Amino acid sequence: MGIGARITAIFGLGALLLSFSMGGLSYFTARHFLLAERETAAQTQAFANALVVLKEIAGGNTQYETLLGQLDSASASNSILVHKSKVYSSPLGISESSIPAELRSEVLSGGTAATQTYVSGPHGQPQIVVGVPIPSVHAAYFEVFSLSDLGHTLRVLGITLVGTGVVTTVLGIVLGRFASRRSLRPLAGVSRAAVAIAGGRLDTRLAPEAADPDLEGLTSSFNTMVDQLQARIEREARFNSDVSHELRSPLTTLSASLEVLEADRYNLPPRAQRALQLLGDDLRRFQRMVGDLLEMSRADAGSVDVFLEEVNVGELVQRAVEAGMRSLGNGADVPQVVIAPDVEALHVGVDKRRFERVMANLLDNAANYGGGATVISVSTLDRTGSRESTGSTDNGDGAGRAERGGRIGRVGPGPDDVPTVIEIAVEDAGPGISDVERTKVFDRFYRGSASGRRGTGTGTGLGLALVAEHVRLMHGETWVEAAPSGGARFVVTLPVFVDDEGQDW
Amino acid sequence: MSGRILVVEDDERIRSSMRLALEGEGYDVKDVASGEEALDLFADAPTDVALIDIMLPGMDGFECCRALRRQSAVPIIIVTARADTHDVVAGLEAGADDYVTKPFVAKELAARIRALLRRARPTEEDPGALAFGNLQLLPDQGVLRQADGTEVHCTRTEFRLLCELAASPNKVLSREQLLDRVWGYDYFGDGRLVDVHIRRLRTKVEVDPALPQHILTVRGMGYKLVP
Repeated sequence: MGIGARITAIFGLGALLLSFSMGGLSYFTARHFLLAERETAAQTQAFANALVVLKEIAGGNTQYETLLGQLDSASASNSILVHKSKVYSSPLGISESSIPAELRSEVLSGGTAATQTYVSGPHGQPQIVVGVPIPSVHAAYFEVFSLSDLGHTLRVLGITLVGTGVVTTVLGIVLGRFASRRSLRPLAGVSRAAVAIAGGRLDTRLAPEAADPDLEGLTSSFNTMVDQLQARIEREARFNSDVSHELRSPLTTLSASLEVLEADRYNLPPRAQRALQLLGDDLRRFQRMVGDLLEMSRADAGSVDVFLEEVNVGELVQRAVEAGMRSLGNGADVPQVVIAPDVEALHVGVDKRRFERVMANLLDNAANYGGGATVISVSTLDRTGSRESTGSTDNGDGAGRAERGGRIGRVGPGPDDVPTVIEIAVEDAGPGISDVERTKVFDRFYRGSASGRRGTGTGTGLGLALVAEHVRLMHGETWVEAAPSGGARFVVTLPVFVDDEGQDW
Repeated sequence: MSGRILVVEDDERIRSSMRLALEGEGYDVKDVASGEEALDLFADAPTDVALIDIMLPGMDGFECCRALRRQSAVPIIIVTARADTHDVVAGLEAGADDYVTKPFVAKELAARIRALLRRARPTEEDPGALAFGNLQLLPDQGVLRQADGTEVHCTRTEFRLLCELAASPNKVLSREQLLDRVWGYDYFGDGRLVDVHIRRLRTKVEVDPALPQHILTVRGMGYKLVP
């Protein structure tokens, strides 16, 4: 049971117990008091009547029934006279069976006056029976008082009290819910803050002045935790950034010196030439890795600046592929670039430097693990979901896809059917990527099952992670799926540039 | 092509390796370790291109750049450890013509230097004087002057940018075209170079740089010069 439910239950149970015990107490007190009052009144009346009976019998009156009928019976009561073992009653319907046996014997043989109260009498109705012995005339006078009016009063009282109890219990539950909501509200604040922090907004804090004094401890320890977390993350990001920065100076020296050596390499003996070759290849790889690490640490520290320019998508992709293939060196097969006619004239807002890296990394990845890129296609994002029909399951970017679907649903094809998202796909002829690996390939330094296939090993292990990061910064998405040919199909999307008043400098 | 290069870099090893690499490319290199030394040396030794590291002890690279720019139109390349907008734009606004990020490839650096050393060549044939507003542009003499004859000082890169725009008045030139023609960059050159230089140029040729009348931005396309 949750804490809220528990608080509610405690309030409800408390209200129930309290209201019913208070109600019970009131009921029994009232009943006791009312009965005592009625008994006193009944006894007074019975003694008065017995005195009248005594006088009349002593005076020689033998018309007992008439006598009994004339007696004062202010309250609804019936009189029974037992005279020398004969029973007379008024009205006639009343018999001596109305008198409980023990009372009768107590009065007749014991000779003492007695009162007995029945909430439920011998005939089921509440009554008070008062018996007064009149030994001087060998008689006993009994008077039976009906309590049905009192019973009714008590019933009404009882019902009222039970009703009040129920209402109080319900109120208790409502109050409990309110109290639990109220007391859990600060926790909702904590939860929101935690979500914000998990989402990367590390400057989120709980407002100390708004906090309950009782929760001050929680607030301050939460904020302290976030402070330390933030400090730690910043320290780590700074460390990464510092390391990469510090590596730049020696790398600059190394690469400049290496170029001097390379310019002179034909004067070197063959063994030294080979060594220089190895040195050069790995130095360049190292240089790329440091560049990638810096890029990553900047992204982690949130200190990236994206310089979006509006460019023609066809030209962009064509140029990026050319540049990417150039950096791959000779010998790589140039992939076919297929640009759908409906996107040829469209513009996208991109950071060209980042897009160049994206394309270079995808081509590099295809060359290292997929036997080289075969087709690069540029089209509007397929909304009909033909990717499902190719049998691919998109584990790659489930959340991204949902969001994308939402965005397309909202924006939709414009009135003039202008597409809003462009898809750029790089297909390779490799073995493809299994479902389980499709998200992992975008992890940093992930070495998949294909890593054994690494030939010359020029990857930095950060390429695809950076692809995802760069594309994200340009408001696009990245995923991988199966190409119709069976290879991998890496897809990046970019939103179509919408011309509005932007910055101008 | 030979040229005299001034390298301002505090790290001794980087300085030596840069000297070796640039000398290998055929340049005549002088190197100093601080901005102050650079200004001293610059006063005496003729320099064609200055390479200034941003992170220098004492006077920093930006300051050195501004000081140099106050006395000369010499092409300046800043060497930065970061390609952040802040450093790059601050460097360009301090008067630099171009930038490279560490670790750089010496060949790439040599190419940047070559591009800056190229003579202004607005078009294939010499167009003679170009005029717009109350300004007169003489590409072959490298002179921009007002109608009354006062010369407007601008850097070589600014001048070349202006020549490119003025050579085809009313025609939009894209950032990529300008990057290629003025800086020798390919398609993926940094558009911020163009933007900052245009802004700088406007402060020199426009009456109100915030409301340009001659050098206009064409959104999504590039820039054009309206005489």
